[in-house]
Amino acid sequence: MTALLRYQTALLLRSNRWIFPLIAYGALIAVGAAGSTPLAEGLTWSAAMLVPVVAFLTRSMLLVEPDASRAVVAAAAGPAGGPVRAQLAALTAALGGGAVLGIIGAVFTLLTSEPAGSQPSGGVTGRITATIDHPAIFAAGLATAVVCLFVGAAAGTLCNPPLLRHPGAAALATLAVVIAALAANVSPANAALRGAGPSNVTAHWPSPLSFVAAVALLAITWTASALAAARRERSLS
Amino acid sequence: MRLEAVGKRYGLRQPWVVRSVSLDVLPGRLIRLEGRNGSGKSTLLRVAAGVTLPSAGRVTGRPHTGYVPERFPGGLAFSGRDYLLHLARVHGLRGVAAPRAVDEWLERLGAASYASQPLRALSKGMCQKVAIAQALLARPGLLVLDEAWTGLDQAARGVLDAAVAERVADGGCVMFVDHEQARLAGRISERWRLDESGHVTVVAGDEGRSGSGFGSALEGVIVIELTGLEASSAALLGGLPGVLSIDSGAARVSAGASDEVLRQVLGWDGVHVTAVRTEQPERDTR
Repeated sequence: MTALLRYQTALLLRSNRWIFPLIAYGALIAVGAAGSTPLAEGLTWSAAMLVPVVAFLTRSMLLVEPDASRAVVAAAAGPAGGPVRAQLAALTAALGGGAVLGIIGAVFTLLTSEPAGSQPSGGVTGRITATIDHPAIFAAGLATAVVCLFVGAAAGTLCNPPLLRHPGAAALATLAVVIAALAANVSPANAALRGAGPSNVTAHWPSPLSFVAAVALLAITWTASALAAARRERSLS
Repeated sequence: MRLEAVGKRYGLRQPWVVRSVSLDVLPGRLIRLEGRNGSGKSTLLRVAAGVTLPSAGRVTGRPHTGYVPERFPGGLAFSGRDYLLHLARVHGLRGVAAPRAVDEWLERLGAASYASQPLRALSKGMCQKVAIAQALLARPGLLVLDEAWTGLDQAARGVLDAAVAERVADGGCVMFVDHEQARLAGRISERWRLDESGHVTVVAGDEGRSGSGFGSALEGVIVIELTGLEASSAALLGGLPGVLSIDSGAARVSAGASDEVLRQVLGWDGVHVTAVRTEQPERDTR
């Protein structure tokens, strides 16, 4: 599995398909950082923006490999369950990429938001000290990011090959599901983001239910995608 | 390795491409799949290689597998060598074994000087060499070749033929499809014929007849079908070394002695050989 993960990660990095999600994420974070927002609110925003970014990163990963080399890797990863493991490695590589972006986003937000706590303190060191004084705010922001990461990865998995093969439909469906994941009440990402107030001293934790739901969504979509990849039909293209 | 009632179709409402194939794939065999275009040769190879799961039945006991697809388009951002290094590790090679195997196969296939170029810049033949190299890196117990010779230069075709011989001599099994009828002629242990309805019939290969086989034919049983056998000639046949049993119109002969038995029988007046085949427990899967 390690070798597969290294291969898929290298595939993603060298394909340059991570550049668009990275730029998009940077732009979205920058929009959120414009004006002065409290740290908790900024972290919630950077977590929320992970949903589209990870969804499209997953999409990139699922589209990057031609069928023939996918088949070669599936056989090599065998002798049993090769295609399943190859698919899970690809999805994990995209999720890992999203996690790296999420951490970068959280750190950027920490450095640009209004510092945590009631005492305004300027400068980068002041912000870091303030965050260390209020660790729960940052930790809660990361927890929210994890929920959003899982929901975004699930959305990208659901709306792209092998589960959704039609090229045009896949792109549109990814976009639609991402918007729904952020806006619809039933979405765990929406639940995790909801209720983040402009408070500068209280942490905003995602509910346990939203966390469980996000994990369940990820498990279901990944399982379906891996099984579909193993039973893979001939490519439509 | 065993295929148990294996069937494959691409979707629930699609026709079966391959159906109810129950066959043993024995070690040390070179198996050629034959059939018209679209008869399911590639599909059966993909199922055997573990690239895709069968829609019905199952494949058990698959050894470590190398698979060469029909077309390997490259299109990846790796250099040939980097791609092979990754694949070597996916194949389970660790430490220095991976670069060593990569360099060895690049060298053997005559692709070493192109190995640092990105795959997408390589010609079709070079990409094909990379695809072949990855399949052979870990000396797999099962090698599956889907028209792997296409696009190769003369030298590389010879290398691939030799690599196939090595795999078989090592006790590995090689399954292949090729449009060239003479490919590996004289060495084939079994021919699997796929018909339009997706069934497979196994017929004996030609190994042992030409003398250029790999020697593994000297195991197992050859069935010689005859007509015109009378009591006297049957007794004579039963007395020949290597003849295991005779029943109505067919003699079972141990493979090592089959050539000599055939030579004798062909000289007898009134006795005609109608077929020679390798004995298979489930010869016809229909």
